[in-house]
Amino acid sequence: MLRLLNLAVALALVPAAFAQTAGPGAWQNDLTPIARSDWNYDFAAHLLERAGFGGTPEQIQALARLTPAEAVRQLVYFQKIENNLPAFDHSGVHDPGLEPFPESRPAVTKLAKEKGEALGIKVKAGGDRPLQPVVNKFFYWLRASVLETQRVSYWWANRMVGTQHPLEEKMALFWHGHFAVNENKVRDYRKMLGQLELFHKHGTGNFRELMIAEAKSPAMLSFLDAGVNVKGAPNENFAREIMELFTMGVGNYTEKDIREAARAFTGWNYVDLKFVVNEEQHDDGPKTFLGKTGNFDGVQIIDIILQQPVTARYIAGKIYRYFVRQDPSPELQEKLAGVLRSANYNLSPLLEAIFLSRDFYSPTSVGTQIKSPVQLAVSTFRKMGLKTAPGVPDFNVATGTLGQRLFSPPTVAGWSGGRSWITPGLLLERGNFARDILFPDINFIPPDRANPSADVRIVADKIRAGLDISTATMPERGSEGGLAESNMLADRDEDFNTRYGSFRGWQMALERVKPIPRHTADVDLSRMVTDAGLKNTTEVVDYFIRRFMRVPPVNEKRQELVKFLNGEIGTTDVAAAKTYMEDALRLLLHLIMSEPEYQLS
Amino acid sequence: MKRRDLLKTGLYGIGIGATGLARMPALFAQTAQALAGRPAGSPRILVVLELSGGNDGLNTLVPYGDDAYYRQRPRIGIRASNVRKIDDHFGFSSGMAGFERLYKDGKLAVVHGCGYANPSLSHFTSMAYWHTAAPNRGDEFGWAGRTADAIAPKAPPNFLVNIDSRQSLAVRSRLHTPLVFDDPRKFAREGFYQERGIFAQDVDTGSVSNPSQRFLLDVARSAKSASATVKEAWAKYKSPVDYGINSLDLPKVVSLIDAGMPTRLYYVAYRNNAFDTHVFQGDLHQRLLTYTSDAVAAFLVDLERIGRADDVALMIFSEFGRRVPENTSLGTDHGTANLMFAAGKKVKGGHYGQVPSLTRLDEGDNLIHTTDFRQVYATMISGWLGFKDTASILNGSFQTFEMFS
Repeated sequence: MLRLLNLAVALALVPAAFAQTAGPGAWQNDLTPIARSDWNYDFAAHLLERAGFGGTPEQIQALARLTPAEAVRQLVYFQKIENNLPAFDHSGVHDPGLEPFPESRPAVTKLAKEKGEALGIKVKAGGDRPLQPVVNKFFYWLRASVLETQRVSYWWANRMVGTQHPLEEKMALFWHGHFAVNENKVRDYRKMLGQLELFHKHGTGNFRELMIAEAKSPAMLSFLDAGVNVKGAPNENFAREIMELFTMGVGNYTEKDIREAARAFTGWNYVDLKFVVNEEQHDDGPKTFLGKTGNFDGVQIIDIILQQPVTARYIAGKIYRYFVRQDPSPELQEKLAGVLRSANYNLSPLLEAIFLSRDFYSPTSVGTQIKSPVQLAVSTFRKMGLKTAPGVPDFNVATGTLGQRLFSPPTVAGWSGGRSWITPGLLLERGNFARDILFPDINFIPPDRANPSADVRIVADKIRAGLDISTATMPERGSEGGLAESNMLADRDEDFNTRYGSFRGWQMALERVKPIPRHTADVDLSRMVTDAGLKNTTEVVDYFIRRFMRVPPVNEKRQELVKFLNGEIGTTDVAAAKTYMEDALRLLLHLIMSEPEYQLS
Repeated sequence: MKRRDLLKTGLYGIGIGATGLARMPALFAQTAQALAGRPAGSPRILVVLELSGGNDGLNTLVPYGDDAYYRQRPRIGIRASNVRKIDDHFGFSSGMAGFERLYKDGKLAVVHGCGYANPSLSHFTSMAYWHTAAPNRGDEFGWAGRTADAIAPKAPPNFLVNIDSRQSLAVRSRLHTPLVFDDPRKFAREGFYQERGIFAQDVDTGSVSNPSQRFLLDVARSAKSASATVKEAWAKYKSPVDYGINSLDLPKVVSLIDAGMPTRLYYVAYRNNAFDTHVFQGDLHQRLLTYTSDAVAAFLVDLERIGRADDVALMIFSEFGRRVPENTSLGTDHGTANLMFAAGKKVKGGHYGQVPSLTRLDEGDNLIHTTDFRQVYATMISGWLGFKDTASILNGSFQTFEMFS
């Protein structure tokens, strides 16, 4: 039965009625809901591709069988659909002594010298390098947080791959790029995880609630230095980014508005994972902000911002660009802003309107988006029918190489997206990523286990060889032009040794952080082909193109692919090659995933 | 024989004997010669180094002779005893031995007070102004991209190289497809033997109407033509020069220059908003400057080593400087005018432009710019690269400096 159904799907798809050529051009900028009579498999595929991360032909067919309104509502109002996803499994690397974590290694050693203790570790009573255990602990936590963040990232990737609520994850990814916080500065995986939980909780809910929760989140407060924003000496970073990046966009307020808003946020801080307002540091005086005067606090500032017409336009426009295309007309953007305003900043009605609109299904929208690296990876796994992200290749390294490492956005403005995802170098890398899934590297070394830094590795080797700390940590390079200043200065403090601390901290983190599972992708392309009832190599190529691509390669390329497969299996007859065609099918899929068109969604 | 094939052949060192060279047209022979490591007519090369995040110029080249500096920065001001003095007024931050040496050797130009009217204090907006050389306006294309268009309208491949994980707006060009890559070892199609035929195939894009698809196909073509060259150049590159902790991709630039790439404009960056030092900037900022100074000084030594020091100039900028008074977090907030630097064997070292006043500030306590940053761009385009009609690129005439010998 399943086999018959798949065959039906496969055959229904083969004629070249690709979405790219379907749908009247007049639909552009038209927010009228798409009619039931216009609804088809390709549009359902487009919907799942954008509102989620794509899926298997069966998943697409299920949406195609619904009316467009039902299909969209199923994705947008997903709460009723059961979704058994495991909670994050903490390794248990944090302890209370680490709080509050000082801003730098010099700050830690200074604290230890003054207090005789830091990070929960006492200064040694005597002997060599009395501050060494403190410095080790400092580097331990930096490393442990980085490694645990990689586990959070895998946990999230597995959610994206396995979820029944794809839009929840797709919106979380949007907000991660919007409220773009980097673990590198926050240095606490728990805060990063907490922020992700906010994206899951409010991501398709109410923007006001999300904005306020974000402004109070330890991750954001820490990232934008809110902790040092105090009465009498406001720090503008937080207030500026709230307006410039999170709500209004540049040019809609003055420098004075920023200074006044900064005053309203004075005293906002966090203790460990809890939001606090330090009343004595809060400036309760009157502020004049965007033309209004009052003794505003941070929440009132956010409310004034939300009353500005430009705010709904900015948010709606950004969401539209994320899901649909780069260049909405001002009129369209204003219409979408109207939807958001009349829903009091509830996001679901806006999402519903976008996904149901004819505009979303117009040729200018369909098949024109360049997938982000995370989108590329997750949709590849989902289209293959995988249930989790493979451990080989490493998800974080792969997406990071392609320019989108989770919890590591390049700047507070997030990822630029669009064509900026692609450079000549990155386009090749995308093909290499596909190869690493289909033909896992036999020499793969888990990056969360092996130390990527040569410096630490060299120190580790020398310590194990029995060298003393001073000798083991002596920098190695030098020669023409002399030793660089940074290498000479590296560290010659008698109370501790930074290079040793860096090595030891890494080692301690390795002991405590749980390893990431390293299974390879569970793919069986021969079975996929057999289950789909495909008879000859042309059908196989067309099926793969249909299953994995939203925009087919130019026709001559398609013919080359058929020729290639014929050559590899030595026949056009799939049944004859059934027992040995797996390698050839994987090569074929690698070629398809290396095509420029594979990058399109 | 296609040019791309020739490049490959040349690189792998097979098939080009003396007779092969003799039979080739002049253009090809020149390329082959360049690939052998000898410059063809020594075209001048400009390398741009971006310090992203807004470098604190006042704590880079410290005006230790100005009391106002210490009044504005009582806690984070760098003591006179701690700076690397270059004269009785200025000294470099303590880790910048490299810059001090370059300055004293007459190879480092400092341009003071660089900025523009109505400055934006937003990283992204201000950076976009610097990238496009179009303050308070912006442009679809970057200034380096427009420079490439003007100098080489026929858009020969690899004229413009941007080493980064994503393309900078500065190199965006109407005519050129900039070569953008990050890790040269990975800049390659990793295919299996059987797949080579298909990977080598060029497709006819004439019938493609989807603009994103066309864009991707164009990039794919550029990738195919350049990746082998870059990978090979990097594999061959071996340098004894110590670039320090962060080499800022400058060794990659040297490897390509040494391999005879026809590139005239290279663009690299200290990435990820690194210089955005709002809090506790002391140690952090000193470290960033040390790394920068180490890498730049090493770059010049390395160029000397490969015999190309005469042909290369480096220009350094940041999207803005920082607020003159320190903030309460022992850091500095976004500011306005800033220093720019030019380094190179042919650069005439010394001070350029007027030093901005530390007592006459704008209403936001920021420096008032004394040099339009486009003057420095114009200096690079005309004085160094030799293209005189800078007004057509920069949308206006800007007075240049006599900066090169």
